[in-house]
Amino acid sequence: MAAALSPNLTSAVFLVMVAGYLLGAVGSLAAASPAVTRSLTAAGALVGAAAGLGLAGMVLVVGAPFAVTVPELLSPGGGLALRLDALGAFFLLLIGVGALPAALYGVGYTRAYAGRYSLRWLGAMLNLFLLTMSLVVLADNVLTFLLMWEAMSLTSYFLVMTEHDGADTAAAGGWYLAMTHAGLALILTALVMLIPPGPGSTFAELRLTVATLSPTTRSVVFTLAVLGFGSKAGLVPLHVWLPRAHPAAPSHVSALMSGVMVKLGVYGVLRFALDLLGEGPVWWGGLLIALGAASALLGVLYALMEDDLKRLLAYSTVENVGLVFIGVGAGLLFAALDHEASAVLALAAALYHALNHTAFKSLLFLGAGAVLHATGNRNLNELGGLIQRMPWTAACFLVGALAIGGLPPLNGFVSEWLLFQSLLPAIASSAPLVPPLMTLAVGALALTAGLAAASFVKAFGIGFLALPRSAGAAAAHEAPASMRVAMTALAGLCALFGVGAVVIVPRLAEMLRGYDGLTGQPAPLAEGLSLALPGAFGGMSPPLVAMGLVLAVAGVWLAVRLGGDRRLRRGDTWGCGRIGQTARMEYTSTAYAEPLRRVFAELYRPTEDLTVDVHPESRYFVQSIAYRSEILPWFERYLYTPLLRGVDAWAARAQAIQSGSAHRYLAYLVIALLALLAITLARSG
Amino acid sequence: MLLFSKILRTGIVTEPLETGETVVTLGRQLDTRVQRLLGRALAVREVDAGSCNGCELEISGLTGPVYDSERFGIHFVASPRHADLLLVTGPVTRNMAVPLRKTWEATPDPKLVVAVGDCARTCGVFRGSYAVAGSVDTIVPVDVFVDGCPPEPADILRGLLTALDRWPRR
Repeated sequence: MAAALSPNLTSAVFLVMVAGYLLGAVGSLAAASPAVTRSLTAAGALVGAAAGLGLAGMVLVVGAPFAVTVPELLSPGGGLALRLDALGAFFLLLIGVGALPAALYGVGYTRAYAGRYSLRWLGAMLNLFLLTMSLVVLADNVLTFLLMWEAMSLTSYFLVMTEHDGADTAAAGGWYLAMTHAGLALILTALVMLIPPGPGSTFAELRLTVATLSPTTRSVVFTLAVLGFGSKAGLVPLHVWLPRAHPAAPSHVSALMSGVMVKLGVYGVLRFALDLLGEGPVWWGGLLIALGAASALLGVLYALMEDDLKRLLAYSTVENVGLVFIGVGAGLLFAALDHEASAVLALAAALYHALNHTAFKSLLFLGAGAVLHATGNRNLNELGGLIQRMPWTAACFLVGALAIGGLPPLNGFVSEWLLFQSLLPAIASSAPLVPPLMTLAVGALALTAGLAAASFVKAFGIGFLALPRSAGAAAAHEAPASMRVAMTALAGLCALFGVGAVVIVPRLAEMLRGYDGLTGQPAPLAEGLSLALPGAFGGMSPPLVAMGLVLAVAGVWLAVRLGGDRRLRRGDTWGCGRIGQTARMEYTSTAYAEPLRRVFAELYRPTEDLTVDVHPESRYFVQSIAYRSEILPWFERYLYTPLLRGVDAWAARAQAIQSGSAHRYLAYLVIALLALLAITLARSG
Repeated sequence: MLLFSKILRTGIVTEPLETGETVVTLGRQLDTRVQRLLGRALAVREVDAGSCNGCELEISGLTGPVYDSERFGIHFVASPRHADLLLVTGPVTRNMAVPLRKTWEATPDPKLVVAVGDCARTCGVFRGSYAVAGSVDTIVPVDVFVDGCPPEPADILRGLLTALDRWPRR
């Protein structure tokens, strides 16, 4: 099969991908009616994403990279250079997995936008966003990478601003734009430090320069790259834009940003750490593990306190990116310690979790979008009872919640299990400081997994079960067919990635060969139907676990059908015998999180404000109760507010230069000219 | 630290157990009967339908360290959904009539109702009050009345034993 694929075929598929996205963008702008715009947007994105998947599949199956250069375009910067290797192909696959359902979902979801927001620009930007994301992972020189990275950031900014009249949209867009450009500045610096003197800035040439750099410079480059890409990936404390931008964006865009775009931050770190910089010191891995563990824990702790469904999902993305970075960090650390098998396992676990997160987080955001579409509300305290009115959405959301909660046999369980398995052997390592660090990381992972399950019990239980808490939730309706199909497909993928881990994980390990000095033949990670780990404590068979669970459920059902008492009695929910039960007596999202708010009060520092108005005649007759509780936004208050204040102060001082006087400006010009002449003279003389 | 030093300083303050033989005998009989009928503990839900709390004192005495009804497999539960038997006290007040009825409806079949105390049968000194809806049997079907104002724990155990005779057989 490998020999049958000619370079012409891969080029053709690549062109179809680019053409699909571009035609989708142009078509959306040129279409005559909103309905046509919506179809063309989706058609372009579907064709482009499918071709992208095909291209990724070809590169992954054949193993040979695909490369195209267009030196004529932007020749001063070295032209456009594109190359797709296994690492890039994996992320292109991830883009396809997220983009196909999101594009389809958009058809139904954006119907309500007609006349309110610009469907044309939404469609054009969506297609360009997908195209530039795909080209980021294809980029093979500095210019292409930076251009595509920036184009991806800008198009996603415009997508966030789609619902421009929303209360918090402008602020969300501002945060996002500022954070992404701060990140870009760091990435730019990191790349520039690697550019060799003289022409040429392809990644191959950068790799050659790296050999000449001192270890300190390489570490500086690595740190800059981690911070730069971390701002895109949402690593704590650079995560502040996520919980703002994700809720503001249209839901299918949130799914793409959360499920796919943040992973490109992971891609950037991997490209630097595994490919461009080569093997580094042990502390690189340690740094990533520490940042990852902090992101995972803080992300999930804030998700737990959140009442806004989409903000909850955004914080949960911070958590999952943290988990991915724990895996990446462990991989780098093992590679630096020459534990090759463990390094491959940890990296494969991280990549697998990234892929799984794309599946279940996209699904959850699409589910949240369906809820928002049906009720016009994202506040869990005003939802409820949706399982009766939108059973399809509820079932899909439940699958996503189970997957992200790490329950077998779904995909989240498998990748979290792999992460655990990859960290546990390191506790016995002989390297200094590694065992305590890994023990802490394992502890953080376990606590995160438990709290994540709690926050999704809350999201599903409060949002979908019991009685509706508002008129909007009571009048909810099931999502249209296109949205249902998209969600069902992702739910299917969650199950498939869970059971199919035996096939996928060994492929991932295989794919990593050749990066970062991982040269040897990796130990096979699967035996028959089980995942068997090298040198580790155990193995597990996802298909058999799934089969066992299905059989157990079927067995219980049969036993009840055959042997049980089949008389059925329906009654009210037990409410302590209260007369007139209403939705106001239900457990709320805030109440559900209250015990954990107390446990972690050191972190949350909750402020509570309870005002009770009583009847003037007797304090036993309460007329109204107002309760308000807030948690301390640490990062905003102690990091960003002082920073912004400083920037403001400096900007005010810098205004002295911009006086408005033409004479002064002429003087600046002359000084600059003289300085340049002096430098030129000094260098030539 | 404080807690542990206090425990050390205080020593053992519990008194020797002086339960009459009756309670132990009754408890054992009950245990055997419950095991035979239910194959597990007897789950009891207590409903105060308007009692003066005299009966509650005796019932909580039953669950306390002296009588310790848990050892005989008599388990007080937090919801009628989990209960085999309702232990109802007091004259049923107007406010509690509907909740009592709802509690009875929420208890899964088969179920028993034991009305504890004189008030539960006759409304006692509260009879005729504007706040009283009636005796327990006017609201829910009662299997056994336990007389006394208040009845002793042993009487309540005897009432439970009698009630179990009415447990429907398959």
